[in-house]
Amino acid sequence: MPKLLTINQKEIPTINTTILYTSNFNYIKDAQEYIVNDCTVITKDTLKDLTLSPTLFKKFNCEYLINKEDLTLIDKIKINILNSLESSNKIYVFFNVLTYLDYEFKTNIINYLKENNKQIINYTTDIEETLLLEYLMVIQNNNIIMEGLKEDILKEEKILQKLGFNLPFIVELSLGLKYYNLVDNLYFNNESLVNSLWK
Amino acid sequence: MTILENKNMGVIYGLLGNLTLTTNSNDISLVSYYKFKDTVESYLESDKALKSLKMVFLDATYLSKTIKDLSESEIKKINLAKALIANKEIIVLDFFDKGLTNKEQKDYQRLFKKLAENYHKTIVIYTNDVTFFWNIATEIIYVDNQKVINTYSKNEDIPNINPPIKELINLMRSKNLKIDNYKDTKDLLKAIYRLKENENEISN
Repeated sequence: MPKLLTINQKEIPTINTTILYTSNFNYIKDAQEYIVNDCTVITKDTLKDLTLSPTLFKKFNCEYLINKEDLTLIDKIKINILNSLESSNKIYVFFNVLTYLDYEFKTNIINYLKENNKQIINYTTDIEETLLLEYLMVIQNNNIIMEGLKEDILKEEKILQKLGFNLPFIVELSLGLKYYNLVDNLYFNNESLVNSLWK
Repeated sequence: MTILENKNMGVIYGLLGNLTLTTNSNDISLVSYYKFKDTVESYLESDKALKSLKMVFLDATYLSKTIKDLSESEIKKINLAKALIANKEIIVLDFFDKGLTNKEQKDYQRLFKKLAENYHKTIVIYTNDVTFFWNIATEIIYVDNQKVINTYSKNEDIPNINPPIKELINLMRSKNLKIDNYKDTKDLLKAIYRLKENENEISN
């Protein structure tokens, strides 16, 4: 896989990537490196001076946030993300923030960035989020344990288990259905699994 | 909030994602992403420091660490250790589950259950992840836009909250498949197997 950039000894590929990390990993150094490399970095940090785009807030059903007082953590994360969407940077990096958001909002953001040809890198401990992007890198203490297309890495149930991760629900279910000869493949979304079972 | 109904009322100044809890009681610890100064040992400031660290699945090596050595999740774990030392009746956890692996989530579920059952603590878990509390909560309070929408008992179905397993069940129902509610993947797997077996019997 061609290399996009190197972040603290990790070669980040030119494909949308989930970085699944164990809970003792401190991502601050990585965040600093991405900032140096002109990436848009989204964390839970306090909001800076904002120039809000009403069009984007409307597009993502967040108009209610524009004049809202007493912002919650989730509000702040949404504003941070929406406010960053007009950035000219090519690379967007999320540090354990998508996990706070509802599924609809986060998939809309991911789709929007993909449509606009942005490269997405998502740091998370949430195994379900590995289904959102194409490539998966698993790290422990800044060491890469394994990496590859998510379809290949999510077959490594035993290694993931050793690191403390389950399989995503739909992968675990399709693995069980495969064992009972009800399906032939692993599935990564509900629609394709149900369509395979009831053609 | 029914779970706090019999407690003294007042205010906790909230770090919570969507809600400000109100209570007068000093008998509450709030566990959040508080960035303490100095070392873990001086923050915990107790002869019970090591015991409480062990309860939150950390070891003695953490005593000499400072914020810059710690991950976001470890900071929350140390704040939980601090709350255990304070030994208050109510422990409120602010998105504690974020940043944990699945195995750690299970370990902490067991710890919270033990604190509630053996030490008579009231544990209030604030999260948007149903799977984290589904198996342990005795009461679920559904909050939206700073308002309590409803309260549910352990086995009640909660509308609008759809963990992955429920999303799939909803999809199957939309295709007129008869399927009950399940919370466990293995139970759903067995149900799908039975469904397919029945279909095969009918078609034969």
